[in-house]
Amino acid sequence: MHIACRNLHYTYPGANFPVFSNLDWSIEGPGFFALFGLSGTGKSTLARLISGELSPMQGDIDIPNSRRVLYTHNAERIPGWNTVGAHLRSVTPASKTSLLTTILKDYGMEAHLESRFSGLSMGQKNRINLARYLVQEFDLLIADEVLANVDEPTRNHILERLKALFPQKTFIYISHNALEVARFSQTIYVLPHGPATGTDRIHKITGLDQQEGMETPEELVQERVYAILKSAASTSEHQA
Amino acid sequence: MRTLKRLFQFISIYATALGLLWGVKIVYGFSDYLIPPPLEVLQVASQNGLLYVKAVLDTLAVAIAGHMVAIVLATAVGLVGRLSTWPGNLTRTAAYNLQAYPIVAVAPIIFLFLGDGLASRLLIAVMICYFPLLLSFIGIFAQPVEEVEHFFRITGRINWRLELSIRTFENMDKITTVIVGSGTMALVGTIIAEFLAATNGIGYIIRKALYQSNLAKILVALFLIGLCSSLYLSLIETIGGWIKIRLYGHKAA
Repeated sequence: MHIACRNLHYTYPGANFPVFSNLDWSIEGPGFFALFGLSGTGKSTLARLISGELSPMQGDIDIPNSRRVLYTHNAERIPGWNTVGAHLRSVTPASKTSLLTTILKDYGMEAHLESRFSGLSMGQKNRINLARYLVQEFDLLIADEVLANVDEPTRNHILERLKALFPQKTFIYISHNALEVARFSQTIYVLPHGPATGTDRIHKITGLDQQEGMETPEELVQERVYAILKSAASTSEHQA
Repeated sequence: MRTLKRLFQFISIYATALGLLWGVKIVYGFSDYLIPPPLEVLQVASQNGLLYVKAVLDTLAVAIAGHMVAIVLATAVGLVGRLSTWPGNLTRTAAYNLQAYPIVAVAPIIFLFLGDGLASRLLIAVMICYFPLLLSFIGIFAQPVEEVEHFFRITGRINWRLELSIRTFENMDKITTVIVGSGTMALVGTIIAEFLAATNGIGYIIRKALYQSNLAKILVALFLIGLCSSLYLSLIETIGGWIKIRLYGHKAA
């Protein structure tokens, strides 16, 4: 799956400065990619532009028409009138029922299906929300901080299982956690702190693409983390 | 429990107000003609109690009917008003402009055309509580609950019924509060209508008492109005609470 942004311009209504200006960027799926950057650099804006929730003011975003793009973020909730299980059953296509069972088992959420969403912990809410997206038809899933409240071992397990279960899908994983994006992503795209005229470039760093059952040497992870943080920080300093 | 609390609150306020009234009478030496003594109020209550209870129940029945009509109307018009197309824009503009006009001022015209019977009282009750309901409903129905609706929208499942269900559910507390508030307004509207020109209801009784300068009758009527409105409002709150328990699966905070 090929996604390309060309000469992208976007300014929020009423804002004084553009978020993006003349941005060119592309990714080639399938695979697990990460968008990394400091707060306010435009990660979620880019995600919403790609998913079609926002329209660019200028420029193009090329996504093949037949491809289905979903975007999810960690503030999402399920309707409070249903139990978690009832909601998941109602939004899962019949062909994906066994996949749902597998995912819920992987995520340790089987025991919580009779609970209301409001009764779950933040981390459990994150997992349920991700699970319902994974059982939809999609080619690209943009996951914006979707595991932000999940503990690290569980998060690592979820990411490993996600990559094992969906090798043919494309994921853009937005996170502030440099360790996990370094370890699990095929490529990390670092958004610099944009100048007042808007961000016009995205840095590319090769990730370690850790697969299920694999161990990645810590030195390598640390090296990538350093590269990612340096990329984000040096760009900011440069802009300053 | 909620009903008892409301009743206790009302009776406390009523007793305090009576106490103050009689305190003022003693301090300034007002006559029994102006402010009747407690015994006279009790005599009026025992002599006219049944008649007044019937009158206040009549008023309450009209207020409840008017309130229900206003809720149904506000819901229906609110559904149109939430739209971003021209009917929605027109409805919103009309609602915002009309609500700024004091409806009570139109009451004489209503009596002129519809007479002093049930229709006038009902219509005034509806009109007085309709606009606050409508404005609230338009606001609630038009405001997306992004964190819940997002999934349904991006997966192509959203439709107006689901959207409405989400927004209603998420704003249940606000809706209950608005309905309770408008319940008081319906009662006020009915009493005003009766006070102005009708020939039935507790407002009519108060009007007659006013012409006779009989404060004892007015005090008894006010007590019954407070009692009935407390019961009605706590009934609405109980229904709201019951709906929340049904929907949330537990007693919502």
